[in-house]
Amino acid sequence: MPDDDVQRLLHKRHWARAFELVLSRYQEKVFRLVYSILKEAARSEEITQDISLKMWQVLPDYDGRASVSTWLYTIARNTALSALRSASHRSTRILEGCELPASKWQAGQQQVEINQLVERLPEAQKQVIELFYLQERSVEDVAHMLDLPEGTVKSHLHRARRALADMVRS
Amino acid sequence: MNCREVQDRFLEGMESTLSPLEKAQLEWHISDCADCAGFAARQSELDLRLQQAILAPKLSTAFRAGLQQRIALHGREPWPEWLPDIAHVAGCGAAVAVCAVLLPFPVPVVLGAGGVIAFLTYSLQALLVSAFEQKTE
Repeated sequence: MPDDDVQRLLHKRHWARAFELVLSRYQEKVFRLVYSILKEAARSEEITQDISLKMWQVLPDYDGRASVSTWLYTIARNTALSALRSASHRSTRILEGCELPASKWQAGQQQVEINQLVERLPEAQKQVIELFYLQERSVEDVAHMLDLPEGTVKSHLHRARRALADMVRS
Repeated sequence: MNCREVQDRFLEGMESTLSPLEKAQLEWHISDCADCAGFAARQSELDLRLQQAILAPKLSTAFRAGLQQRIALHGREPWPEWLPDIAHVAGCGAAVAVCAVLLPFPVPVVLGAGGVIAFLTYSLQALLVSAFEQKTE
């Protein structure tokens, strides 16, 4: 089982070593998960620090029922979503339904801003496709981070790819 | 395989590795089907665009230092690993001191007996902790 070593350290109450191990293993992944929600690197880094601090504070309360990564990703998702809900950040977020450029992406034609097309996807598909590319194309990681079955992640990915292709063609 | 199945399989191949047989089936179908060939070309192009557009940022080098600073300021220090040992030694020391004052025995005898009892209870505690850790593993 992954993170057995972390679990052992936690059982022995070696908090500092367990914390260091979790951080070195997951800090970049957590950062990318947060970034997929907030879309701002600096703000995401700050929230990743909040998450790490929170993890340090509640480490002695970890009961081992969920895997360490599931537990950490849950803290990360909740913290990032709270940050997103904060009014100050919401104002900077790109609005859904923004104007689609008239240009199409085809050889020799003006390039379509792919990010704007992704913004037009339903929320679940958007999050999955962004995380898929952010997490170096790992369906397993995305499923784990969003607490979804791998089949659901693949299904969102396929729908997103088809929808994007349709947007580009239309 | 019909066109829909071929297209689904093609999309799956963008997320995981297909077997040589599946690859051969796909290639065979695509070479003979203009619709699926177009689908494959569009999806490959789209995949490339997404890969170029969605770039993973990296944490800055200041991340760890900033975190350490915040932990020092706000972090609740979990119980240190050595706390039970210190608590045990301090408790035994205090008990022996009280006994040395109150009991009608020479102080060296009380200190000796206290030391032996402290050592035995410490060993017992260490054994219990070790047994508990093995059980929880």
